[in-house]
Amino acid sequence: MIKQDYSELDALELDTLREIGSIGSGNAATALSDMLGQPIRIKSPEVRIMEYNEAIEWIGGPEKITAGVMVKLGGQINGIMLSVQQLEFTNLVLKSMLGKTVEDYIELGDMEKSVLVEVGNIMISTFINALSSLADINIELTVPAFAVDMQGAILTVPMAEYGGQSDYIMTIGGEYLYEGKTVPCKLLLSPDIRSLNTLLRKLGVNGG
Amino acid sequence: MVDDNLKVGIADMKMAKANGQLVTYALGSCIGICLYDPVIRLGALIHIMLPLNMETGRKNTMKYADTGLRETIKQMEAKGAARSRIVAKIAGGAKMFEVNGASLGNIGQRNIESVHMNLKKEQIRLLNEDVGGTVARTLFFDVSTGMCNVRSYGKPELVM
Repeated sequence: MIKQDYSELDALELDTLREIGSIGSGNAATALSDMLGQPIRIKSPEVRIMEYNEAIEWIGGPEKITAGVMVKLGGQINGIMLSVQQLEFTNLVLKSMLGKTVEDYIELGDMEKSVLVEVGNIMISTFINALSSLADINIELTVPAFAVDMQGAILTVPMAEYGGQSDYIMTIGGEYLYEGKTVPCKLLLSPDIRSLNTLLRKLGVNGG
Repeated sequence: MVDDNLKVGIADMKMAKANGQLVTYALGSCIGICLYDPVIRLGALIHIMLPLNMETGRKNTMKYADTGLRETIKQMEAKGAARSRIVAKIAGGAKMFEVNGASLGNIGQRNIESVHMNLKKEQIRLLNEDVGGTVARTLFFDVSTGMCNVRSYGKPELVM
């Protein structure tokens, strides 16, 4: 059956997407470990279908300032992938790679920003490469874009992009663990509805 | 001060009369539209996300500039507001990410244009605005005075 909205997914389809999240996030964690020279593991991956305001609460409130790296997906799948990096994660990256930390995002210079973009970009690309070979689909990625601002506004980018199709946002992704603690970095894939159908069909769980 | 903020979510609208403050957080490409009838001191704040409602069935009116404005004005009139007195202030319509070779449409800009056009169509005067750019905004709307405050990251608070 062709899905008209994210809320129509059944248990098997959600499980399949969770598996994608698991493999994608796992690969991204390995890439992150390599970059930072520190062991990073994944927490149980999640597939979430949330109403807009619910999603804003889930990310941790609208006004908190975070760094976001965004990549747009094209080719056989359309979607947006975001790496939402809270300050603690930003500092973990900066400390490992540049040997420094910041008190506030305001202090980020060009060098620090480019490190954060690159880390986000590599995590996103690794996730997408895993997805692409798993489902045997061709996915093109745009050059990453970077913003430091209220995380509510960053999260509304995929919402607005697909807002004409749905009152929900779907995210596939997971959280990371470093030294037993949750790293406040979320890697989120939000496909549009048509691409969701393509993906499920390619993975053999949707007859439509 | 007591916290009498009335929170307006995404694709949402709330109204207040004579006192209280309406607030909507983290407007990115979305736009917050404050409508105010100063005589009866009735204010409404809409948080729209997209320029045009093309949904069949049109259930989520407040998600869109066109249907959101039309529906809100109707509800304000039902509470005694007069269209000729209603004025508007808007904030939002930013571009959160600068994408090179953008396949990502500039939704913020389209939202601004649509709000302008629909205000004109509904014959509502636009008094002030803080739109565009690349920063997110939180919008406060004091219903007792009709004044708005805009809070952004790394910028001083703006009164309009």
